[in-house]
Amino acid sequence: MDKAVSVAALTVAYGAATALSAIDLGIPRGKVTVLAGPNGCGKSTLLRAIRRLHQPKSGEVRLGDLPISGLKEKELARHIGLLAQNPSAPDDMTVEELVRLGRYPHQTMLQPWSAADAEAIQAAMFGTGVSHLSDRRLGSLSGGQLQRVWIAMVLAQETDIICLDEPVNHLDMAYQIDCLDLVRRLNREHSRTVVLVLHDLNLAARYADRLVFLKGGAVVAEGMPVELMSEALIEDVFGISCRVITDPVHERPLCIPIRNSSPRFRAETAA
Amino acid sequence: MSLALPRNTALAGISRRAWLAVAIIAVAAILVALCGIGFGSTWIDPRRIVEILLGEGSRGERVVVLQLRAPRVAIAILAGGAMAVSGYLLQKVTRNELASPGVLGVIGGAGLGVVIFLALLSNESNALVTSIVWQPVAAMVGASVAITAVFLLSGQQASSAVRLLLFGIAVGAVCKAGTLILMIVGPIYRTTQASRWLAGAVNEINWGEVQVVAIGLAIAMIGVFAVARRLPPTDLDEVSARGIGLNLPHFRILVFALASALTALAVAFAGGVGFIGLMAPHLARLIVGRPVLPGIVASFLLGAIMLVGADLIVRVLFAPTEVPAGTVTAVIGTPYFLYLVLRRGRTNG
Repeated sequence: MDKAVSVAALTVAYGAATALSAIDLGIPRGKVTVLAGPNGCGKSTLLRAIRRLHQPKSGEVRLGDLPISGLKEKELARHIGLLAQNPSAPDDMTVEELVRLGRYPHQTMLQPWSAADAEAIQAAMFGTGVSHLSDRRLGSLSGGQLQRVWIAMVLAQETDIICLDEPVNHLDMAYQIDCLDLVRRLNREHSRTVVLVLHDLNLAARYADRLVFLKGGAVVAEGMPVELMSEALIEDVFGISCRVITDPVHERPLCIPIRNSSPRFRAETAA
Repeated sequence: MSLALPRNTALAGISRRAWLAVAIIAVAAILVALCGIGFGSTWIDPRRIVEILLGEGSRGERVVVLQLRAPRVAIAILAGGAMAVSGYLLQKVTRNELASPGVLGVIGGAGLGVVIFLALLSNESNALVTSIVWQPVAAMVGASVAITAVFLLSGQQASSAVRLLLFGIAVGAVCKAGTLILMIVGPIYRTTQASRWLAGAVNEINWGEVQVVAIGLAIAMIGVFAVARRLPPTDLDEVSARGIGLNLPHFRILVFALASALTALAVAFAGGVGFIGLMAPHLARLIVGRPVLPGIVASFLLGAIMLVGADLIVRVLFAPTEVPAGTVTAVIGTPYFLYLVLRRGRTNG
C-alpha cells in the first residue's frame, strides 16, 4: 500500500489522561479514509495529531518518509489542508477573501501574490461551486454554502492531503450528502488523499474507501467498509446491538441500530 | 469558464478604495496638524506655518512655531499614532473590537513603569539623574509586565477574548492604584504635574523627547510592517489559522510584545491617553475595511488626528489653563466603548 501518511506508535496525552495509546496506522494515498468510533474514542485527536495540532508524547507521524515534527508551519500547511470542526471567520468577510487565505502558506515576503495564487482560488471556488458567491459576505450564506466555502479555502491550499474534522455535524441531511459528495469528487477528480472524521456510521460506510474504527484511544479494526461493518464488531466498538444490511442504492453496508447494549448504559437504565 | 482569469478585480477594487480613503485621512491629518500649530495665544495662518517650517519667518515666529508649538503637535502625532496602531494589532489578534491598550492594562502598566522610574531616579529638586532615553524603556518594562500578567492570568483560556479583557481591566486597575500610591507617598514632589501627565497631556515637550519617541517608533513600525503580512490569518479561529500555517498562540505573543512597545513609547511622553487605541483602529476598519496595510496606516493617521484634535480642543476651551488632552479622549471614548459593548450584546445575544 502506498501510504500518504504513516502513524507509528503514536501516543498523545492531555495532561495525565491518555487520549491515544501507541497507534499504528497507514493512510492510503489517493483514497478516502474515514476515522469512526464512539464519543471520546480519540478519532478527532488522531486527525489533529496527524496535522500536528497535538504534540505526541511518543511515536511519530510521517508524510511519506518525512517526519512532520521537522517541518515548518507553512511547509506542513502546503502538505496537509485542514477543515476544523468549528471553523469561524468574521461575518463581514467575503467569500473570496476567505478562499484567498488558503494561499497564505504559499506566499512569501518576496512573492506576496502570484498568478498561481489567483488561479488556485478561482479553481477552488469553481470546483466547489461557489464562484457565483465570490463577493458575498460570509454572514449572508446558508450553512451548506458556508461549508462549501470553507472547503474551497482548504482546496485553494493545494495540498495532497486534506483532513476534515466532522465536516457535516451541524448540517441538514441534504447538505451532509452534498458536502460529502463534493469531498469524494475532489478525491476522485483531483486525486487528493482525504482523511475524514465522521460521527455517523452509515455515512462513514457510504463514503469511505477505508474505514478505521477507534475505541478508547486505540485502533480496533481497519479495512474496507464491507469487511468492517459486521454486527459483532459494531456492537463491540459502539456498544449497540444492530442489524447490518446492504444499502440497496449504493450497495454499501448499512447499520440499523436496535438498542444500546453497553453494560454501563444497561446498569443506568435498570437503576 | 473563460480562459482569461480576471485577476481579483473585486479585491483589487477594495484595495484601491482603501488606499484612496487613507489618502483622504492623510490630508485631514495634515490640516489638523497645521491647525494645532496655528492655534495659540496668537493665530498663525497655515500658509505662514508652512513658510516658517521651510525656513522663513521672523525670529519670534520661529521660536513660537518651532520651539513651542511644533514639538507639542509632533509628540501628539507620534503618540496618538503609536497608540492607535497598538490598538489595531491588539484588536486583530484577539479578534475583538473591544481590545485596546487601555482595556488590556497596557497603558496602566506603562504608566506605573514610568512613575516607578521617576520615583527611583529623581533627585530632591525633581530632576532626573539619568538620561530621558530610559523613560520609554521603563514604560516598556511596565507595559510588558502588565500584558504578561494578563496573559498568564487568563491561562489556558488566553484565546478567549472575554477573559483577556476582564483580566486586562483588573491588571490596569491594580497598576493605576499602584501609580496613585507612588504619587502620594513617593518622592515626586510635583504631584500635580505627574497627575496631569498620567491623564495624558502633550504640553511642555521638547525636541529631544520628540526625537526619542520618533526613533523608537521607527524601529517599532519596522516590526509592525514585518508582522503585517502574517496578520490576515488571525481573522480565523485558532485551528483554522494553524491549518493554513500560522501558529496563532506563538504569533499572538510576538504581536502583544510589539503592541506593548508602541503603547509604552506613547505613554512615556504623552501619558496615559485613553481610548485612542480603541476608537482609531475601529474607525479605521470601518473606513478602509479588512486590508491590513491600509488599516495600519489609517489607524496611525486617525490616532494622530484624535490626539492633536483633543489637544486643540482643550487649548480652545480651557486656555490659558492647561487641561490634559486625555480628558477629551476619555469623555468621547467612554460612551464609544459603551456603544461597542451594547452593540456586541445585541448581535451576540
